[in-house]
Amino acid sequence: MAVIEVINVEKTYNESQIKVTALKNINLTIEAGEFTAIVGPSGSGKTTLLNLLGGLDKPTSGRIRVGDVWVDTLKGSKLINFRLHHIGFVFQSYNLIPVLSAGENVELIMQLQGVPAAERRKIAYSLLEKVGLADRYKSKPSQLSGGQQQRVAVARALASKPNFILADEPTANLDGKSAENLLQMMEQLNKDDGVTFIFSTHDQRVVNRAHRVVVLEDGVIKES
Amino acid sequence: MLISLSWRNIWRNKTRSMIVVAAIAVGLFGGVMAVGILNGWINQRVHDSIYNEIAHVQIHNPEYLLNEETNLYINNTNEILAVTDTMKDVKGVSARIRLFCMAQSDRATTGMVVMGINPTDEEKVSQIYRKIIAGEYVDTTHQIPSIVIGSKAAEVLKLINYRITTEKIDSLLEQKLPEQIVDSVKLLIDKSYRKKSALLKDIKSILSKSDFQKYADRLASVFSEYRLNKSLVLTIQSSNGELHYQLFKVRGIYQTSNSQFDAANAFVDRSVLAKMAGLKPNQVHQVAIICNDMDKAQSVSNELAKLFPTVSVRSWKQTSPEIALYAQFGDFMGLIYVVIILFALAFGIINTMMMSVLERIKELGMLMAIGMNKVKVFIMIMLESVMLSLTGGVVGMGLSAVILAILGHTGIDFSAWSEGFAALGFSSVVYPSIGIIDYIEITVLVVLTGIISSLWPARRALKLNPIEALREE
Repeated sequence: MAVIEVINVEKTYNESQIKVTALKNINLTIEAGEFTAIVGPSGSGKTTLLNLLGGLDKPTSGRIRVGDVWVDTLKGSKLINFRLHHIGFVFQSYNLIPVLSAGENVELIMQLQGVPAAERRKIAYSLLEKVGLADRYKSKPSQLSGGQQQRVAVARALASKPNFILADEPTANLDGKSAENLLQMMEQLNKDDGVTFIFSTHDQRVVNRAHRVVVLEDGVIKES
Repeated sequence: MLISLSWRNIWRNKTRSMIVVAAIAVGLFGGVMAVGILNGWINQRVHDSIYNEIAHVQIHNPEYLLNEETNLYINNTNEILAVTDTMKDVKGVSARIRLFCMAQSDRATTGMVVMGINPTDEEKVSQIYRKIIAGEYVDTTHQIPSIVIGSKAAEVLKLINYRITTEKIDSLLEQKLPEQIVDSVKLLIDKSYRKKSALLKDIKSILSKSDFQKYADRLASVFSEYRLNKSLVLTIQSSNGELHYQLFKVRGIYQTSNSQFDAANAFVDRSVLAKMAGLKPNQVHQVAIICNDMDKAQSVSNELAKLFPTVSVRSWKQTSPEIALYAQFGDFMGLIYVVIILFALAFGIINTMMMSVLERIKELGMLMAIGMNKVKVFIMIMLESVMLSLTGGVVGMGLSAVILAILGHTGIDFSAWSEGFAALGFSSVVYPSIGIIDYIEITVLVVLTGIISSLWPARRALKLNPIEALREE
């Protein structure tokens, strides 16, 4: 079964009483273990599609299935719980909690899931080890480089054991070398552990590494 | 981790949080001190009132309370005393003859209440014997009977002379009066005055206006000399309605914190007054009772009222409702101060918390996106607000506890206003005190302030849409 199935999704916004169509007639299937990039110019609907896949927004029409759950029908605490247990997020500007250490940032999501303290500490350590930052467990985000912070963000996303990871422009704030290292690491995770990654990106380096590229233009999939 | 995260969030902006903590600490320090001083005054007033004036329980002939006449005495004193002697909660009992009299000294006349007491019994009920500032307490062995009067009555009856001697001036330095005041007063050395007004007139001429206002009463008190062993003639109405008079010698002067009481009450041997009023030894107007504990007063009063339905039995709360009111509302009034202070401080906490939320919109959006539910977001912000308030609260209460412990020992001296305080029945030296219950109540109020102050900022956070919040720059 596909990990994500998007069926005839349309998303429209009312901006100053003008109807703006951000996505129309989107049909997309993503299988487990894919390493997919959603690309397109600004305003093409990449982030909107990512928000819909992540359960942060609802389609105006159409259906979205993640695993065996129809995400478009979930509301309130059920939706929040679904995000907590099934989706990993990586944001463009890392969004780590500055007062928590790298390890605690990774632990946070497990704490929200109710994982016991000793177990989550063990998992957080092994995840940081996986992203090459075990020795920075106690470092605050301000003591880490941008690339390192984004690696911690990937470890945090993995901590919830999600069905897939949504990464919104993950390399946009990184220099060439850091971006390359990050992508290499994510590709390794995909290859070794079968982690499904879905990127929204402008970055050609991400596109070059992606196993599949979905091209969006004016809210319509042009190539998939 | 939520508690740890909230605590660390508070200290993201140390300066801002420290300002709020300092504001809460100073505000609470002021509030707790106000409660402590108020408590100190009230405790002292209630204590002095009970142990010098009204006792815990008073028994009278009910008609005496309506019309305080000599022949309206208690008819069954012996039975009452027999019962009170066996009551385990009763510590002391004093049977008193209480009459209105005219007192005449060699220089003045005044009306007052004279109490006929048995000194041994009275010492178990009243602490007047400890308040003697000149001479001795009621002594029953003299041929010409003794009378003990208050310092204010002595002033009214002109039983005070004022004499400025070298020894008294030296004692001023021991009392830590400023040297320039002592030097100025030396100009009046060896002078004597019969009237306080004449002394004050001379002191006024040598001191500045502010020094005079500050030190005149203390100087007058140091220079005063009671004219002990002077004669005082009391005229009373006896039980058969006739006027009787008797010569007494003033052998003692007492001073309580209540100058009105001191002006109006004198103490003599009960047997002398009984003879004078034509009363038998067991015919008294008042039986005053002190219990082992203030809280026992009502139960003792109820028990006696049940046993002796023909007499009026009143606890101190009924005898002196205004004192009961002080005792009852003292804590409440103090808490009202604290509530007002915390109410004002809440605006500072709301402001800080609102700033803190607005600065973290993107972060809060991220937390909501990854799966932190609204209850947890609310708890996190509420914990931050409560911890911020409690930090200030603990600092403020800790500081006030230390200061109150010191002042509770040394007292706060308001003697510049001693006459005004004494006129209201309050001591000019206050020993602030605050109970553990007050601290618990204040802590609860601080936590409540923290919770209430978090509501608005938390509401702002809960209304965030994660998508919009994540877009914030």
